[in-house]
Amino acid sequence: MPASKRRIPVSQPGMADPHQLFDDTSSAQSRGYGAQRAPGGLGYPAPSASPQAAFLADPVSNMAMAYGSSLAAQGKELVDKNIDRFIPVTKLKYYFAVDTMYVGKKLGLLFFPYLHQDWEVQYQQDTPVAPRFDINAPDLYIPAMAFITYVLVAGLALGTQDRFSPDLLGLQASSALAWLTLEVLAILLSLYLVTVNTDLTTLDLVAFLGYKYVGMIGGVLMGLLFGKIGYYLVLGWCCVSIFVFMIRTLRLKILAEAAAEGVPVRGARNQLRMYLTMAVAAAQPLLMYWLTFHLVR
Amino acid sequence: LELGINFDHIWQKTLTVLHPLKVADGSIMNETDLAGPMVFCLAFGATLLLAGKIQFGYVYGISAIGCLGMFCLLNLMSMTGVSFGCVASVLGYCLLPMILLSSFAVIFSLQGMVGIILTAGIIGWCSFSASKIFISALAMEGQQLLVAYPCALLYGVFALISIF
Repeated sequence: MPASKRRIPVSQPGMADPHQLFDDTSSAQSRGYGAQRAPGGLGYPAPSASPQAAFLADPVSNMAMAYGSSLAAQGKELVDKNIDRFIPVTKLKYYFAVDTMYVGKKLGLLFFPYLHQDWEVQYQQDTPVAPRFDINAPDLYIPAMAFITYVLVAGLALGTQDRFSPDLLGLQASSALAWLTLEVLAILLSLYLVTVNTDLTTLDLVAFLGYKYVGMIGGVLMGLLFGKIGYYLVLGWCCVSIFVFMIRTLRLKILAEAAAEGVPVRGARNQLRMYLTMAVAAAQPLLMYWLTFHLVR
Repeated sequence: LELGINFDHIWQKTLTVLHPLKVADGSIMNETDLAGPMVFCLAFGATLLLAGKIQFGYVYGISAIGCLGMFCLLNLMSMTGVSFGCVASVLGYCLLPMILLSSFAVIFSLQGMVGIILTAGIIGWCSFSASKIFISALAMEGQQLLVAYPCALLYGVFALISIF
């Protein structure tokens, strides 16, 4: 048993951990910590005056170092194995497979969705294509960045009005996050009640709801530069654009096949779905106004 | 006494940061060392102190959250993963131009037009070199601006602390 433990720190620097591209020399640090912590834990009477060389040559402290570093390695493995249970990392990775061209075109689409014709997401053998290759695919990079930028811009706006303090940043961040969670839950609940079979996953929904932060940032920045007139103009434009964007995107996901092609289908079910889509799309401009008007005076 | 601090590598990495237009070598980040970044962080804090801003706590908090955020983002965006030490090391090294900014703020106030332009330039410089190192080390293509943007946000917060 001690022999196998002792082998671990020796092979670690040379072995290529599939999760890491680099040799992490932080293991050298943990080895040092292990040597310092473990002797105290074992009750080893280490006088502080003992020279380094004699300390390291002692087999007990060698084993202690090996134990400490193997603990660190085990802890890391545990985190890696279990994080997949709580956060679906591979699914998340799909939403971040973006490149600069995609982001540029998507931002253009968010501000001007009127000329875009084909809103269908391309599929490749039953799985949707990564956002890099299809502009209609939802991504989480833009919403995440927009959210963070929104919190910072809100802090900046409050700063120019002399109402800034760093804890206010935290307050803004948590309140915006709370609103987002509320929105996602409300829409999921209504989708459940309407018993719609969609392939609209929760992450897709979070992505779509996150796109409005881009418009909000634009509005607040214009408001900072040009006052209330600029704010209302830009916010109005972004509200209409987001409304159209959401309708066109959600129509394909929520409504049934036939209705999505523009043929009006009778039946209470489809009407309900249409109302739901309109409600979700209409909620976006309202929230955009609600979350920004107190920032522009 | 071998402390594990390789001065030659530290100097190489510092030079990479200081020449933002030179293409970075992907292998320089093969050993993560936190000695250089530690020095830079302390120097940044020292210049802030000189300017009379006693906000050390916020600097630590923001850098911790920022490093964590970049770590998550880079792991999600790249094909290969990246370790937290590597992220912290790169971000720490690219803090060097920010030290120039905050030492400038000791003498002159940064709230005029010149200050804003200078700040924007320095933030751009920091994020550009950080993203350059990340891109070359992680072999990500077509994503340099995407990596530079969150770095710019992080360094922007540092700059805000320097200015206000």
